[in-house]
Amino acid sequence: MANLRLDNVTKRFGRVEAVKRLALDIRDGEFFCVLGPPGAGKTTTLRLIVGLERPDEGTVYIDGEPVNDVHPGRRDIAMVFQNLALYPDKTVFDNIAYPLRERGMSKQEIERQVTAVAKKLYIDQLLQRKPAKLSGGERQRVAIGRAIVRQPRAYLMDEPLANLDALLRLEMRVELKRLQGELGQTLVYVTHDQVEAMSMADRIAVLNLGVLQQCDPPDAIYNLPANRFVATAVGSPPTNFIPAEVRPQDGGLAIRHPAFTLSAEGSRHPLRLALESRGDLTAPVLVGVRPEDVRVAVSSSDAYCVPAQVSVIEPLGGETIVDLRLGPDLIKAVVPPTQRLEESRPVWLAFEAGRMHLFDSASGARLYSTSQLGELACRGHENP
Amino acid sequence: MASIRLEKLRKEFGELVAVEGLDLKVADGQFAALLGPSGCGKTTTMNMIAGLEVPTSGDVYFDERRMTDVPPGKRGVGFVFQNYAIFTHMSVYENLGFGLKVRGCPEAEMRRQVAKIAELLQIGPMLPMNAGRLSVNDMQKVALGRSMITNPGIFLLDEPFSNLDAAFRAYMRGELKRIQREVKQTMVYVTHDQIEAMSMADQIAVMSCGQLYQSGTPDEVYNRPVNIFVARFIGSPNMNFVRCTYQAEDGRGFLAQKNGDARLPVDDRRRRLLEERRGSPDLILGIRPEHLHVHPQETPATLWRGVAYAMEPLGPKTIVHVQVGRDVVQVIAPADYRPRVGEPQALAFDLEYMHIFDGSSQDVIR
Amino acid sequence: MAKPGIWRAALRYVLIIIVVGVFTFPTYWMVTMAFKPRAEWSTAAGTIYWVPQNPTLENFATVLTEYQGQFFRANQSSAVPSIRSSIIVSVGGTLFALLLGTLAAYGLSRFTLETGDLPWYIALGRLGALVVVLLPFMVLWAYLGIIRYWYGIVTFTFLGIAADQLIGRLLARYYKGPAGSLAFSILQLRMFPPMAILIPLMIMWSAFRLVDTWYGLVAVYGVVTFPFVVWLMKSFFDEVPRELDEAAIVDGSSNWGAFIKVVLPLVKGGLASTALFVFILNWSDFLVALLLTNRDWPTIPVFLNTLVSSEIGAQHGPKAALGLLAVIPPVVFGLIIQRYLVRGLTFGAIKK
Repeated sequence: MANLRLDNVTKRFGRVEAVKRLALDIRDGEFFCVLGPPGAGKTTTLRLIVGLERPDEGTVYIDGEPVNDVHPGRRDIAMVFQNLALYPDKTVFDNIAYPLRERGMSKQEIERQVTAVAKKLYIDQLLQRKPAKLSGGERQRVAIGRAIVRQPRAYLMDEPLANLDALLRLEMRVELKRLQGELGQTLVYVTHDQVEAMSMADRIAVLNLGVLQQCDPPDAIYNLPANRFVATAVGSPPTNFIPAEVRPQDGGLAIRHPAFTLSAEGSRHPLRLALESRGDLTAPVLVGVRPEDVRVAVSSSDAYCVPAQVSVIEPLGGETIVDLRLGPDLIKAVVPPTQRLEESRPVWLAFEAGRMHLFDSASGARLYSTSQLGELACRGHENP
Repeated sequence: MASIRLEKLRKEFGELVAVEGLDLKVADGQFAALLGPSGCGKTTTMNMIAGLEVPTSGDVYFDERRMTDVPPGKRGVGFVFQNYAIFTHMSVYENLGFGLKVRGCPEAEMRRQVAKIAELLQIGPMLPMNAGRLSVNDMQKVALGRSMITNPGIFLLDEPFSNLDAAFRAYMRGELKRIQREVKQTMVYVTHDQIEAMSMADQIAVMSCGQLYQSGTPDEVYNRPVNIFVARFIGSPNMNFVRCTYQAEDGRGFLAQKNGDARLPVDDRRRRLLEERRGSPDLILGIRPEHLHVHPQETPATLWRGVAYAMEPLGPKTIVHVQVGRDVVQVIAPADYRPRVGEPQALAFDLEYMHIFDGSSQDVIR
Repeated sequence: MAKPGIWRAALRYVLIIIVVGVFTFPTYWMVTMAFKPRAEWSTAAGTIYWVPQNPTLENFATVLTEYQGQFFRANQSSAVPSIRSSIIVSVGGTLFALLLGTLAAYGLSRFTLETGDLPWYIALGRLGALVVVLLPFMVLWAYLGIIRYWYGIVTFTFLGIAADQLIGRLLARYYKGPAGSLAFSILQLRMFPPMAILIPLMIMWSAFRLVDTWYGLVAVYGVVTFPFVVWLMKSFFDEVPRELDEAAIVDGSSNWGAFIKVVLPLVKGGLASTALFVFILNWSDFLVALLLTNRDWPTIPVFLNTLVSSEIGAQHGPKAALGLLAVIPPVVFGLIIQRYLVRGLTFGAIKK
């Protein structure tokens, strides 16, 4: 059990700031994911927590104690490296036993602990083998075994499933989640795969170029992304961003796109306040809506009023992705596999009213979400 | 633009048979995908189409003209590889125009063609930029353009997007398909990612260990797989497989779970099929997670009962792993359905989407 | 296709045989000479004995036992003390260089310096500047007559170090060009021919009374082969992924513990081949041993040199016999450590 905290930590390598004033508060027993593209600073964050890197600014706290000057071996934190770092000349048994031997445990006790851990990970038959003779999944489990055998107060894992093939990855995801639930210790898990993060984490910290974008449970990350980057980072296919203008209309506001308009009535609509908060009321915005929240129909109606044209259809079997031309823009929609659409045909769209966002074009920050502050009326234009 | 026909193509490397007796037809202007895990022979097959490898036996035909002995340079084939072979010291314009320049194309014509390709790929503003300074994503677009500009009759792509980030891959899938529709070039796309194959291809050839298991439209390989390999490989999350045997009782047929007590009734058509067939008594039931439905309580549609083993919230939906007997099946549930591990679950089936496979040959019985 | 191909292949084989013959002939000659009786040594009579007609072991007996040598340097008349000397000095030098060099190599491999490495041309320039600065002092010391005494040498050395420090600091402050590589600079030390400094070395050693001692020779051998060890071991250490060190550290080892328990076992092969390389260098050294040994500790090459005397003529037979004997220890050493020369020890540790 451990509470890990990074307090405005900055780490530089030469002139590059790998991590910029990062503040994270990881709770006891949490499955905490750090998500981001390569180069975001995820591995650096992990290494700062375990002590292989020293912060240039800021402090790392473990259970309330500042540990900047504490040797990694004494922090009682285990780490599974991205490329596993198994000791190649030692057997599986010796690999897992290594941390216990460094602690001077007795021979019988080591024997007991190692076999117990090996059983739990289903590698007890492999104890006398060397890493070269194991499959990818087995090596993974040896690396995990080496981490959990000394029952540290927290575990760190750096993209442990990245190099496994697709089937094995799915299996291991479920296994890891179960294991963490059973062991109950804090787990900090770094990945660039958003499906992994979404399916396993209690909370996700999204990082980009060393800066924390958002730190929230998966649902909040998915439904209320803090900015454009987060909205793109999670969900596949990624969120659509439709450029639009802000214009005053009949005392209220209109978000205008060649193909449709979103209206907010009244002079005190929350939308006005949200847009004003960035200084310039009429600066351009991006309408953000996820492909699964875009519905397609072949004929128009009150609900399906936004005209578009089908560009290409990507059938995935369990669902179909439709590439659409919406005025001058290209967006994607996800429709059930049973819905048959034809390429190059006109269609009509409906946006899920309660699941739309508005982002500032320049900064990418999220300004407004219909789920939070109220729906906006949508009207399609006949001839975009 | 050309059609491709592969006839009994076979390639051996010493004792290793990389490709075995492959027969495949790709129509003119079609987008075909060679799909399979690494080492299945898809790249070798593509190399044989290109002429980079000589088949041990069998023939390659373009537009019914035998190409087997024609060297790669003379086949009129364009390539795009994983590692975007572009000239990093030249500008984007020079990169795109390179193929034309080498062929002695006049300046004005070259400019026109480059502009057209740049427009198609939406990299117009980048033409004067130095290619080495582009992002990885844009570099791949330039590589694509460089191959396309010479208008080859056939276009071969070998996992071109595997080095790019997930969001851009999703974007390029749609783009490539759109481009292919516009230029109507015959494309052969090699990949191990079934999402890529499904989303872009008109025809998918599923391969494993040098053999072609099934070749068909995305709908065919998804809904009518010929064996367990194809059924498991296509679709994410994967199809569920449960070992069963056939039981007859009171004139009705049942599939009985081997690793538990669950039973599934089969309709008359399937009952007849199962009773009349000869083959292993071991059966494997296959059903996709989206064709199962899970509820916390029993409903009239409930056929199996189990316990929640794990739960993966994925945003727009949740995958629930349900343990039935000693098997675990995955079910797709709405995003707000969040059972706790250990809670009892009731499963309903869309029986018309069920597949039955022979337990030893792994072929479908349907 | 057949005819020109056959001729070409035949020509190839003939050339190969000729070249191989030329290079192996000296060895062959030595081996046969070792077993030839005195009568067959010389070709003055007009015949060349390609194969010994009456093979004998008397050459070995001669060289390993007392014999009437009349060369004033060879005080002992048997080669056995020189064999002992060679073994002690070579092994000692090897161990010395290995110990220091391996530790240095690990440091260079793992702990890179961000600043402070100078490119080679700057390093040479620094050396030149040092020489220029010290030259007047050298003249002064000689003038004062103290250069031959130990206190003269010691003070001069300290002066040299001080001058070097000064030049170094000045360079560090004012040199803003590209950085060099410390590892390469160390290797450069060896590109400097030891012969060039042998006379000053001899003077120093005699002042410190290290001449004709085993430890004096071991010191020189160790220092001279140190750059090789550093360069070779650094490349072996570079092949061991840094994550292994880090995993050991996270598991609770200290830096030193990680080095001893995790990294060192993985470079066993590298250590073995480096040891062999250095041992052979030391074993076959002639010049340094010649200058730094006298009666008590001549090594085999030095002793071999004494087997020529104007009284009894060149002793081809015993020379060849001793040469043959001298080949044995390195070969034996090589055979012993052969099983450690296994590649691919890190396979399986890191996934690619």
